[in-house]
Amino acid sequence: MKIYHSRIIITFILLLAISLPAVYAEGNRDFMRETGKINVVVAVILLIFLGIVWYLIRLERKLTKLEHQTKDD
Amino acid sequence: MNWKSLFPLLRKEFILEFRQRYAISGIVLYVFSMVFVVYIASIRVSPPVWNVLFWLIVLFASINAVVKSFVQESGTRQLYYYQLADPVLLVLAKILYNTLLLLVLSTLAFGAYSLVAGNPVKDHFLFALVVLLGSMGFSIAFTFIASIAAKANNSATLMAILSFPVILPILLTLVRLSSIALGLIQDTAYMRDIINLLAIDTILIALTFVLFPYIWKD
Amino acid sequence: MWWKALSIVLIIYTILAGMLVPLKSGIQRTEPAFAKAGADQTIRFYGYNTFFQKASDTPVRVWLYYDDRHALAASDFQVLNDTILEARFRFPGQLPEKKESVSLNALIDHPVAGAALLPAAVYLSSNPDSTGNTGLDSAWTANPVEQLHVQSGFSFPYQNVIYESIRNTYFHVPMWFVLLFLFTASVWYSIQYLRNPEPENDRRAAAFAETGLLFGALGLPTGMIWAKYTWGQPWSNDIKQLMTAVALLIYLAYFILRRSFDEYEKGARLAAVYNIFSFASLIPLLYIVPRMFASLHPGATGNPAFGSQDLDNTMRAVFYPAIIGWTLFGFWIAQLRIRYQRLYDKALGLD
Repeated sequence: MKIYHSRIIITFILLLAISLPAVYAEGNRDFMRETGKINVVVAVILLIFLGIVWYLIRLERKLTKLEHQTKDD
Repeated sequence: MNWKSLFPLLRKEFILEFRQRYAISGIVLYVFSMVFVVYIASIRVSPPVWNVLFWLIVLFASINAVVKSFVQESGTRQLYYYQLADPVLLVLAKILYNTLLLLVLSTLAFGAYSLVAGNPVKDHFLFALVVLLGSMGFSIAFTFIASIAAKANNSATLMAILSFPVILPILLTLVRLSSIALGLIQDTAYMRDIINLLAIDTILIALTFVLFPYIWKD
Repeated sequence: MWWKALSIVLIIYTILAGMLVPLKSGIQRTEPAFAKAGADQTIRFYGYNTFFQKASDTPVRVWLYYDDRHALAASDFQVLNDTILEARFRFPGQLPEKKESVSLNALIDHPVAGAALLPAAVYLSSNPDSTGNTGLDSAWTANPVEQLHVQSGFSFPYQNVIYESIRNTYFHVPMWFVLLFLFTASVWYSIQYLRNPEPENDRRAAAFAETGLLFGALGLPTGMIWAKYTWGQPWSNDIKQLMTAVALLIYLAYFILRRSFDEYEKGARLAAVYNIFSFASLIPLLYIVPRMFASLHPGATGNPAFGSQDLDNTMRAVFYPAIIGWTLFGFWIAQLRIRYQRLYDKALGLD
């Protein structure tokens, strides 16, 4: 329970960290800017998808743990 | 609601402060130390930096001054007040007292700061008004947050993280207004900012009156 | 549940329509971008999504225009390929207005791809000793811009600098709306909890806050990526960036506050109080920040809504379903979180 809120903070930092290469990659700028900057859209969609999936996986893990707990009782 | 009991409550705050003189001395010393550290760290302070540093000093001194406002009295005594007085009056007394305290503290900070780092203020009347409004805003927000934080164990840390997002609108407006007073920004329409600040104070104090009884409830 | 199905249908529609509908054709740049009055000059136009070579019954027309009444049509032009076109202009000796220089907008009208516009494409400077092309001053009014074609079918507006990333409107922008709705729901249940202290109300407030935090954590970095490649830098003290950041800080503090009490009821009550207090104190930022930092977001002046002039009808047909779809999706995730917490509390005997 106590480490619970630190996980939220870690989530946030993780998501920021994932996006940092896209934000600061100077060498990659041509990749992001070519073909009408469509890769910016791809990066955004990918990030949203990964973020939601990550949250769902976390929720599932917690559920599994809970299932084990209730089975033990 | 019996408004007459406001004055005994307010008097109680002063007596309490007077009995624990070391607490207020500690805060004053804190202000002087911070001013001194600023002075040592940067001998020459340009007006924009002066402005920001002044508000940072006042901000941290305020947090430290207000955080004790609910922890210095024991739980049993708080229960006693709870039975005796209306919570709204109690928090109002604390806010009024803290406003005065912060006003004194920021005046002290201003005096000490301008002594070591110079006084770039151009419009003294506006600056005094800003300090007054700032003390009011800080006092309302911090008193409320302190009452929440006092219920937890690690109240000092909690106080800082809880109050930062709440204080941000006030702080931004204060820095803007005082940079007008310092002549850093040319803006004659600063009445809008003052009204904004008063509006924030009104919102916060109204919320405090509505929500404080729920904090006070145990 | 019908609304979960609806959210999926709407998000699929958003992704398909948002990615497949083409952009309108536009002009990226002109070369050279400077010209002198009275000269004959060939200017090369670089198009985006243009089909200069596509055959049609009416020809492509090219203008450099100053205002409604003054426009200069190309005397002759040559199509190099689908995206590059070279046009020849005989600039009159006089500018359309008595000035040192004027900026002319480029306009290419294609019967199929529609009209493409580039504001301030060519700077035309005056030439006091111009001898050539005198007496051509009526050229400014001889060929007015008229009978423009409109591209048939669906397309999104073309904007320089933004290009295809305008499609982020359907993915990044809804995150802000979802965050707003979820946090509002969280505050609503916090109020309910204070009025009626049942664990269910607190569970809902916390779950909505956590899901809102998730969408905020998605909206902020996606916005930073987008901002980096359009505004040039990831952070610019924009009102929406600031408000999202402060909202995230508030709810991170909210969760820390919830967990710093040993008694469940106390933590829930104080967290609810803080939730209401801090959410309300967030609102003044809407009036304060625009006075300090200019917003780069469309529809600025502190309006949280998307500016109506920035959305054309085709975009609206995708944008509104996107908001509804993502919001329902957010509430779906929040509901899963509530149901998990309900089971958890039951297993621990808290409920």
